Amino acid sequence: MDELNLVQAVNRALARAMADDPRVVVLGEDVGRDGGVFRATDGLFARFGEDRVIDTPLAELAIAGVAVGMAAQGLRPVAEIQFTGFIYPTIDQLVNHASRLRTRTRGRLACPMVLRSPSGGGIHAPEHHSESPEAMLAHIPGLRVVIPSSPRRAYGLLLAAISDPDPVVFLEPTRLYRAVREPVADDGEALPLDRCFVLREGRDLTFVTWGAMVLETMAAAERLAGRGVEATVIDLATLHPLDHETIVESVRGTGRCVIVHEAPLSGGWGAEVAARLAEHALTALLAPVVRVAGYDTVMPLPRLEAHYMPGVERVLAAAERVLEFA
Amino acid sequence: MTTTTYREAVRTALREALTRDSRTFLMGEDVGRYGGTYACSKGLIDEFGPERVRDAPLSESAFVGAGIGAAMAGMRPIVEIMTVNFSLLALDQIVNNAATLRHMSGGQFSVPLVIRMATGAGRQVAAQHSHSLECWYAHIPGIRVLAPGTLEDARGMLWTALQDPDPVVIFEHAALYNMEGELPDTAGPVDIERAAVRRPGRDVTLIAFGANLHKAMEAARLLAAEKIEAEVIDLRSLRPLDDATIMASVRKTRRAVVIDEAWRTGSLAAEVSARVMEQAFYDLDAPVGRVCTEEVPIPYPKHLEDAALPQPEKIVAAVKAQLGARA
Repeated sequence: MDELNLVQAVNRALARAMADDPRVVVLGEDVGRDGGVFRATDGLFARFGEDRVIDTPLAELAIAGVAVGMAAQGLRPVAEIQFTGFIYPTIDQLVNHASRLRTRTRGRLACPMVLRSPSGGGIHAPEHHSESPEAMLAHIPGLRVVIPSSPRRAYGLLLAAISDPDPVVFLEPTRLYRAVREPVADDGEALPLDRCFVLREGRDLTFVTWGAMVLETMAAAERLAGRGVEATVIDLATLHPLDHETIVESVRGTGRCVIVHEAPLSGGWGAEVAARLAEHALTALLAPVVRVAGYDTVMPLPRLEAHYMPGVERVLAAAERVLEFA
Repeated sequence: MTTTTYREAVRTALREALTRDSRTFLMGEDVGRYGGTYACSKGLIDEFGPERVRDAPLSESAFVGAGIGAAMAGMRPIVEIMTVNFSLLALDQIVNNAATLRHMSGGQFSVPLVIRMATGAGRQVAAQHSHSLECWYAHIPGIRVLAPGTLEDARGMLWTALQDPDPVVIFEHAALYNMEGELPDTAGPVDIERAAVRRPGRDVTLIAFGANLHKAMEAARLLAAEKIEAEVIDLRSLRPLDDATIMASVRKTRRAVVIDEAWRTGSLAAEVSARVMEQAFYDLDAPVGRVCTEEVPIPYPKHLEDAALPQPEKIVAAVKAQLGARA
């Protein structure tokens, strides 16, 4: 079994989906001859040809619109937006068309498209290349939002997203692209959407996180274990629809929850998780739910980036706060 | 006192801004000759001329971008986007340029721009004209977000917003334009920092903004008939949020219901709920309730649209659920 990093796993999943299903096409800026800005589509053009691996003009609105049309007419398009900073021109297409084609046509048309985009900071990129806008996308009824946090989950969740009958936004944490390797079997097996992954089980505290922050959170859980505090770590994986049963069940057991995300605090997805806990698990809580998040500022340039991103120390400090409550 | 409407209050505010500051101009689709889709700028083109009341082509990205450029170059533009639904096409300009240029230029440029847009449902204009996406804007660092829910605020927030050196987005709920009321002849600029307690009460805090403030007030009246005294808070500023006013009320009443016309999941109501839990955890006697819009494209038929939106009866039911709960 090959050891792959996350971007290689994405590449492997795309190749597998294209080989297994002739309806799958890939489109985006530089995805063809160039192989993609992060090499996610490397080799696909040579293998599947220009009809199925389509270089588009620099026009995100058009990329999304073409994908909506392709999907409505029976193809399985996988569109790439080079960075989430450039995802905003696609939003009208996603909100007003992709997410509601099924309801507007009473099921006559569906929109089985995937919009992939590298997301998040930590790679010393300039402005517009480091943001985490998942909360905005996850607010849209009818739009699934998936963020993998390991090569294996990237492979399995992307296959699931491509075969899903409805639109999926698939946000790939840029910082994880080459951060970790693990064995990934190219077996064509999808992983379940709409389910959290419990990465670690403990009785004292529940961490809820997703994307690149899974690394910091797992490291914090290890440090806590070193002093006898056992934490559960939940990777949301699918942000919308939210598998809140898994979260609520865990927090009912531990009584304490820390949510960790990279996007700015206010209006981030952590607010929704916290609100669900306020609604469904308030009486089980031994301490307030605490959010560790990016600051409410514009994403800073590289010199301050490490300060902006929640690190292990900030996660640990939040854990200390919720553990203090008797 | 003068009897007036929300629409007239907005128009008076626009007239004041155009009169007091020669750098100010109004730009948007149909704001000039047609007088505005909601008639907010009716007559202003005759008073101020087509240079200062500018009709824009149907291209939100282009005219919001032009407004950003004008603001950077020293003007004080007011850009009207017909409704929040169409602001999706200008989102790239707002998020990537307006909100970030001060930061990106190391403080060399600021963007003193005001964007006004209508928001909300309730008028049977169906799935693509009825969104409430205030929560999106309230998530964006670098902009201020306001929601005038009263005549005083419709009249007074604009001038204060224009004095802000950074971009401000003002949401006018379309169901409010015909709202009538009394406005003092001395009405003028108001603060844009603080939430307001619109009705004092001791049993539960209702937190709302925009048109839903009035549904919360109606719910409070219904509850009062059953001897339940609700305190009603009008958020007014959606970003930044005035935590102090919210927490002072919740610490007193020990219960909170947040009303937000957005789809529930990922709404601003979630942010308010999360903050109440973070900051007033030990004061809460019941889970924080949210009354939001059903997670569907807003339906066209009136009975279905009514069913999808927050209503006073739903707020009353949420409050009663709170009072039945014991922490």
